[in-house]
Amino acid sequence: MKKVLVPGDEVPGSASNADGVYSENGKHYASTILLESNGRVVPLKGYYVPIRGDYVIGIVTEERFSGYTIDLNSPYEGQISSRDLREELQIGDVVSAKVVSVNEVNEPVLTEVRLFSGGELLEVDAVKIPRVIGKNGSMLQLLKEYTGADVFVGKNGRIYLRNGNLALASLAIMKISREAHSSGLTDRMMEFLTQELRNNGDKK
Amino acid sequence: MILEEIKEDYIKELLKQKKRIDGRALDAYREIKITKDFIQNAEGSAIAEVGGTKVLAGVKFDIMTPFADRPDEGVVMFGSEFSPIAHPDFNAGPPDENSIELARVVDRGIRSAESIDVKSLFLEEGKVLGVFVDLYILDHSGNLIDTAGLAAMSALKNTKIPKVEDGKIIRNEFTGKLKLVREVAVTTFEKIDGVIIADANSEEEVASEGRMSLSTSSDGFVCSAQKSGKAGFSKQELMDLIDLSSEKSKELLRHI
Amino acid sequence: MALLNKDGSRLDGRGVTDLRPLKITAGVLNRAAGSCLIEWGRNKVLAAVYGPHEVFPKHLTNPRRALINARYIMAPFSSQEEHGRSGPNRRSIEISKVARHVFENVVFTERFPKTMIDVHMEVLQSDGGTRVSAITAASVALADAGIPMRDLVCGVSVGRVDGKLVVDLDKYEDNLGESDVPVVISPRTKELLLFQLDGLLSKKEVSEGLDMIFEAANVIREKQVQALADKFKDVDSGDLQ
Repeated sequence: MKKVLVPGDEVPGSASNADGVYSENGKHYASTILLESNGRVVPLKGYYVPIRGDYVIGIVTEERFSGYTIDLNSPYEGQISSRDLREELQIGDVVSAKVVSVNEVNEPVLTEVRLFSGGELLEVDAVKIPRVIGKNGSMLQLLKEYTGADVFVGKNGRIYLRNGNLALASLAIMKISREAHSSGLTDRMMEFLTQELRNNGDKK
Repeated sequence: MILEEIKEDYIKELLKQKKRIDGRALDAYREIKITKDFIQNAEGSAIAEVGGTKVLAGVKFDIMTPFADRPDEGVVMFGSEFSPIAHPDFNAGPPDENSIELARVVDRGIRSAESIDVKSLFLEEGKVLGVFVDLYILDHSGNLIDTAGLAAMSALKNTKIPKVEDGKIIRNEFTGKLKLVREVAVTTFEKIDGVIIADANSEEEVASEGRMSLSTSSDGFVCSAQKSGKAGFSKQELMDLIDLSSEKSKELLRHI
Repeated sequence: MALLNKDGSRLDGRGVTDLRPLKITAGVLNRAAGSCLIEWGRNKVLAAVYGPHEVFPKHLTNPRRALINARYIMAPFSSQEEHGRSGPNRRSIEISKVARHVFENVVFTERFPKTMIDVHMEVLQSDGGTRVSAITAASVALADAGIPMRDLVCGVSVGRVDGKLVVDLDKYEDNLGESDVPVVISPRTKELLLFQLDGLLSKKEVSEGLDMIFEAANVIREKQVQALADKFKDVDSGDLQ
């Protein structure tokens, strides 16, 4: 049985280390809205807070003297130093980058910057990113296989698509986001992609 | 302020041993002093001092139109001024939320206690006496609310009602003293690391996580309450504070 | 003017512990990070949460935690009586302050240093108990936004009317009754996070009144939980198994 938990609801000890759970006096409680199923919980809503090592997708919002400010779909903006770049960036550019460090107030410094051009940028709630990737990358693999698109997933809830059937790929990702916490998702997505491809093929 | 923040750890360390930075018991007030009739041009006034905190209350009367829903009652209004002379962080300008809260907490205590017989301030249809109580903070060393409440009560207790002739107030002529139906004092308690203390000084206020102000009357009623600050209070803590407030309000009212 | 019927019931037919009809809907606004509409008796209050975002004005920035910017305000047309002035007044500034303290208690502000979280509470129609309605709604809006909190707080008022303690006073009971005690609690810890009182009450009455509030809070929390479960049940719609 699945159940929606709200802040303050007790969660089973088996889920004490999950995101959206806090502990007090040896008991564990939800801090955000969670879905509970068989002693496990997943957050249904949350904010992206940068963590060192994360790969993220950002949008350039400001050019400064020595670098750029990057919007990360987060309360915190990233910084890129000009020294780490081979080319100049423009405001509005979409980039992928790695969080190389985060200071004590959550502000990340980004490196390994790659500029994207063309393609399409999608945004989903960051808590749903694990489902877009799937177990051992299985969902990503499925998406690539069926749509022929290159899919870049940022931990901050942004997904960049390039080449292949972009329309089908974005449709599929929005469906994953909507149904992120239902079981049998991979099978259902396979069915969906097959069906959609068959329908489109008919039209052609 | 910086110094007060540095003292925070020390205050908390002492409180673990039920001790306070100035050596007082947890429920003890600082020395209280009242100076009556300080402003002769006002119909009533008093300076209340609690430790190093000084608040001047002035009471003035004016002729007013009553509120539509209370046509036979005088109007009582409270204001407060956090004068820049009282603290380095106070700036001139419109009242901020702390100033508004202070005036409203003192106001609600005295209003709910029905201390002032507002019906006695009725003059004729459409005309009543308005009582303006202004709370002037002169020196801020913590616990402004209780000091202001005490200043207000003292000033009101020594207020003379001006003579009214032909719909005008004759200043400096009086018809008698303002009668107080019930005396009330506001008592404020601060919670620091789970320990509750009375009459916090300014260092203790900086360390405080939560505040409970209770106005209790001399005949034992709770007349108003205001919880402020981040920390919560349990029901038991509140019940204990009601008892303590009753005791302390009697002590405070002895000075007026 | 009697405020209770001969059989001890209230003028609108409620018993002393009965709440007015209460409806809570989460996620009613598109642009806000989280939102909630509460309809409680004739009260209608809309709560919206924005942020965490950069602090404005900047000099207030706290490197250790997020600031809560709580704003309670009444629309000029909200009252059954005269047209009110728009914008904050002394009453709404005081209520905004104590509402802020409630959220400072439950929100994990330390997880979002150097930011600000806006909690807007707009009273569109008022009928007594607007501050507790507003905070109850704002709590749902914060959860809807995904802001981490220790608990979903809720509030209700208790007061003495014709010598009897009653829960959830309407405007009429509030105006003509002998006292009004709006309270917001954390149901998980039973702590009082907002506690205001006006009117003459004995210690015993305060104690009994609080017990009535704890009881009523169970009902209110259930409605809050239902509102959030309704909003988020969509995520489960694909579940065919």
